[in-house]
Amino acid sequence: MAQKLPVDPDALREQVRGKYREVATDPGASFHFHTGRGLAARLGYEAAAVGALPDRAVESFAGVGNPLSLRRLEPGEKVVDVGSGAGFDSFIAAGQVGPGGQVLGVDMTAEMLAKSTQTAERLGLGHVQFREGLAEALPVEDAWADVVISNGVINLCADKQAVFAEIFRVLRPGGRLQFADIANGRPVPADALRDIDLWTG
Amino acid sequence: MLQDSGFTDVLIGEAVDTFGGAKGENKARAFEVYGYAFMARRPA
Repeated sequence: MAQKLPVDPDALREQVRGKYREVATDPGASFHFHTGRGLAARLGYEAAAVGALPDRAVESFAGVGNPLSLRRLEPGEKVVDVGSGAGFDSFIAAGQVGPGGQVLGVDMTAEMLAKSTQTAERLGLGHVQFREGLAEALPVEDAWADVVISNGVINLCADKQAVFAEIFRVLRPGGRLQFADIANGRPVPADALRDIDLWTG
Repeated sequence: MLQDSGFTDVLIGEAVDTFGGAKGENKARAFEVYGYAFMARRPA
C-alpha cells in the first residue's frame, strides 16, 4: 500500500534546492544552522583531516553529525555519499579510503555539484567524482558500494522509506550504511509536519 | 524504518548538540532535536 507523505516531494525538493543553492554560493550568510569549519569542529571531525582541506571544500559544509564517527572507512572501499553538497564528507571519505578506493557523491543542486567537482579537480582527486541525482533514484548500479554515507539529508526527503530502499539497492551484500541525521525527542504536531517551510527553516 | 528496509545491526551514536548557538536553536530545543550518527548493514 502506498505510504501517504506529509508534503509534496517535488515542492520540498525545490525548497531544499533553494536553501542549499544559497549555502553553496554564499556560505558566509546567516542560516538557522551552523556551517563550515566551526561546525566540523563541533561535530567532532578529525582536526588534521579538516585542516588539510581548502576553504572551498569546508565553507559550505552543513551536516548535522559525523557519519564516520562510528566506524572509520577502510582503504580501498567504494563509497557513495548521498546528498554530497559541496563535497566535504566526500573529501574526508576520500582521505580514509585512499587512492585505491572510490568516492561517488550524488547531489541534486547544480551549484553544489559545480563546487564539489571543481574542488576535486583542484585537489587532483581522481578517485572522487560527483553526479547529479536524487536520493530516491541514485545514479549508481546495483550493489556497487561497500559503504553509503550521508549527512543531514534523509530528514529533508519526504519519502524516507524510498531513500532507504535505494541505499539498500546500491550497497553490496554485507555493505554498510553510515549516516548522520537529526531526530526529535518530542513529537512534531501534524500541522507542522505539513508546513513545508518548517522542513528547511 | 531501517529494519523495515532490510537493514540489520543498527547502531546509534551519542547525541550531538547540532544547533546549539545557531539561529535555529530555539526551535531545536522545543522539539529536543539533536544530531546522531547511525550505522546499519545490508545482510550478506
